[in-house]
Amino acid sequence: MNERSENTTHFGFQTVPEAEKAGRVHGVFTSVASKYDVMNDAMSLGIHRIWKDAMMDWLAPRPDMRLLDVAGGTGDVAFRFLDRKGGSAVICDMTAAMLEEGRRRAEAADLAERLDWVCGDAMALPFPDSSFDAYTISFGIRNVTRIPDALKEAYRVLRPGGRFLCLEFSQIPVSGLQWLYDRYSFNAIPAMGKAITGDRDSYQYLVESIRRFPDQESFAAMIREAGFEQVRYRNLSMGIAALHSGWKL
Amino acid sequence: MTDTPDTPGTDTDAPRPPGFDRRMLEALVCPVTRGPLAWDAEAQELISKAAGYAFPVRQGIPIMLLDEARQLED
Repeated sequence: MNERSENTTHFGFQTVPEAEKAGRVHGVFTSVASKYDVMNDAMSLGIHRIWKDAMMDWLAPRPDMRLLDVAGGTGDVAFRFLDRKGGSAVICDMTAAMLEEGRRRAEAADLAERLDWVCGDAMALPFPDSSFDAYTISFGIRNVTRIPDALKEAYRVLRPGGRFLCLEFSQIPVSGLQWLYDRYSFNAIPAMGKAITGDRDSYQYLVESIRRFPDQESFAAMIREAGFEQVRYRNLSMGIAALHSGWKL
Repeated sequence: MTDTPDTPGTDTDAPRPPGFDRRMLEALVCPVTRGPLAWDAEAQELISKAAGYAFPVRQGIPIMLLDEARQLED
């Protein structure tokens, strides 16, 4: 992988060397860790909660299910999974500060026994092959330097019969609405970010990275390319976000 | 961008920071070789002999990032 270090990738609308992206993304999340959930609520007007519930509806957790939630941050997806009678979960994130915050909440809620917290990279997961029944990633894959590598790793750590689910911002298929949404996101969100976290640049990055992310069909094709079958997606809130699903068969 | 400090002074009535859960050892592999890891309790590190890296465990959380790993002397 080292030979590729001179390659470039996107950091929002900027083009940066691949080797720099992870550090920059890490900077964004370290900078916003403590207010991350507040900001998600403000930015999406609380709708991210409904989207994450939609992801759990589609996953249908069972008590014998072991989940890996990548880019799981403070664990809000994993907590939902346990609420829905899921078995146990590992939360994996690049930013240790987010995991520590999540673990404090797990201890407070007496759920620590069923959750494990691991700092790791989606492109080089520290887990054995075929070790999870489900893999989820919500609002995380956009920040990965090489998305195909992360998808391959997801495939590797899932058991045969395992389920991949990805929740991510997407593109609105109606161009007039996309125009309106762009006005909202490019104007309101960085300003809101500055007001709540004091950090405008991080939220400017978030908005730009959303616009850069492939549309529903292109992303579905990438998931198939990684080996997943029966790949489908559902638009959420008209395509502001999309939920992609695939199976390792 | 510094590492989170060990929350100095705020932990007096909270439980001690959790140690590394040994059960996790079986659930983790080296992110480079995908081979097994050994636990060094004294150094609080997960050792990947094959890759030549030691991964730190901070506040009970294994940090399985190559950027944060210590290269082992041979």
